[in-house]
Amino acid sequence: MRSFLARQAVRLVVGVLGAVVVAAVISAIGVPRGHGLWGFLLAVAGRLAHFAQGDLGQSAISGQPAWQELGERIPSTLKLVAEGAGLALVAGVPLGLVAAVGPTRRAIAPLIQIITATPLFCAGLALAYGAVHLLHWPVSVNTPVGAAVSPDEAFEIAALPIITVGFAGAAVVQLALRHSASQASGGAFRNGLKRLGLSAFEIERSFILPRVMAGLVASAGEIMLALLSAAVVAEWVFHRSGAADLFVKAVALADWNMTAIILFMFACLTFLAEFAGRIAAHALASEGAP
Amino acid sequence: MSAGQTLEASPPLSRLIVRGVGWCGLGLLAVTVLLSDFIARAPAGMADPSAMLNAPSSTHPFGTDLLGRDLMSETLHGLAETGAHALFGALVAIVCGELFGAVAARLPVPLARAIRGVMGVLAAVPALLLTILLIGLTARFFAPLAAGLAAAPLAFVRAFDRVDVDSKHSEYARATGIPATTLLHRDLTYEFREMLGSVAARALAAVTIILSTASFLGFGAEPPARDLGLMIAAAKATYLAAWWTAACPAAALVILVLCARLAAGLDEGEQP
Repeated sequence: MRSFLARQAVRLVVGVLGAVVVAAVISAIGVPRGHGLWGFLLAVAGRLAHFAQGDLGQSAISGQPAWQELGERIPSTLKLVAEGAGLALVAGVPLGLVAAVGPTRRAIAPLIQIITATPLFCAGLALAYGAVHLLHWPVSVNTPVGAAVSPDEAFEIAALPIITVGFAGAAVVQLALRHSASQASGGAFRNGLKRLGLSAFEIERSFILPRVMAGLVASAGEIMLALLSAAVVAEWVFHRSGAADLFVKAVALADWNMTAIILFMFACLTFLAEFAGRIAAHALASEGAP
Repeated sequence: MSAGQTLEASPPLSRLIVRGVGWCGLGLLAVTVLLSDFIARAPAGMADPSAMLNAPSSTHPFGTDLLGRDLMSETLHGLAETGAHALFGALVAIVCGELFGAVAARLPVPLARAIRGVMGVLAAVPALLLTILLIGLTARFFAPLAAGLAAAPLAFVRAFDRVDVDSKHSEYARATGIPATTLLHRDLTYEFREMLGSVAARALAAVTIILSTASFLGFGAEPPARDLGLMIAAAKATYLAAWWTAACPAAALVILVLCARLAAGLDEGEQP
């Protein structure tokens, strides 16, 4: 276990260092520099040196320090991703399990196919349409809704981006769950355990379930990628001010420093999710080993 | 009945049927796209101010948009634009992702692991953000290339991880006198012979979603050319009152992605 942890820690550190280099390369695009490859490499080295000193530079749009602008925006995105992740688990785990069981699986397979084939921005717009016409929520996809709204309305406005992100997460969660369940079903130990006198329920609970859950948590990095992508779309569609929305604006206005730092943050979140997921998966898989 | 037992792979026939339906759907869409100039009732972008926001009717089966453009014709032209761009992007993703990954995994182990590390860093960034970044660095004209390159890191990692880099079989094979290129050619042929269709359809589905989302966010097709993502983005202003302005291009987009996913066999709990 100790060597496994050490390996995962090394992977995390190497990944984060790689993301720092990528961020420095992107950030150097916006820095005044000499001509040619050497000029660019010097600019990258300069950015790396600044990063090492904790200087993330300034936003070219607002002129504010980049960390300050990011600090204002990232909590909103992290909250959206966390709430979406919660919803993804609440919806995706039962959906994945239901989709894994015999006749139900066949019945809902076409529905799952259509859901997973729907681009997220289409799903977001459809949700907004339903919310406006069926629930009469004060949602707008064209202009930000004013700040002077009642607590009920504030909840309704906040709910749609969360549902959109949760929808994307749930699609990945159920796929990961079905994938890990189909892999766990192939274990050759099942017949041996039956011969030892264990009931089907005991085998499922003690050996299959931990493997299925291990497969799910091992996909934490992919789930995080889906949630972050969804956050970009949800913040854009529902005019929610966050880091993902800032990224789109930063690229559009060629603010490469801000772009680099947001990409770095997102890559770190993915690496952290992968790291935590691998460790949890390893612990669960050891628990379910026959 | 246990979850594990019920999750055994589907019978090959039903899987083949599902994939066949996907490929037939893609074939029909390809024919529709190729004939779009003949099937469409109006050329792309032809506005009729007297027919603004008309609901679907016999004259305009998909209705009209804010500028009075026939949405059936516009959806066909948009589908052609999206399909052509997505095909090119998928080709880029296959070559720079799947093929490069399969080749890189057969390089000397330290080099292979170094390349895997670099691609792993890129794969940790959502492909949509990479696409937007690449388009921002170049131009919207390069959106299909950007989408293909952005989808490549994940495809690379998937292809690389399928190969056991520590396997000694290539070393033993070379010791018997088989040249490295012959060995590589044989391995790649063996690996891609069975999977090329599935890999291509998977890349098409991924690139279509990335490309249309980038277009929706304003980083894809450049007017006057309009793909489905840009059509849906333009419909944002009107669709709450005129649902058909967004529903028709969205339906076309979902059908395209659905057919590609079915053709790729992404229905049996395969890794997303």
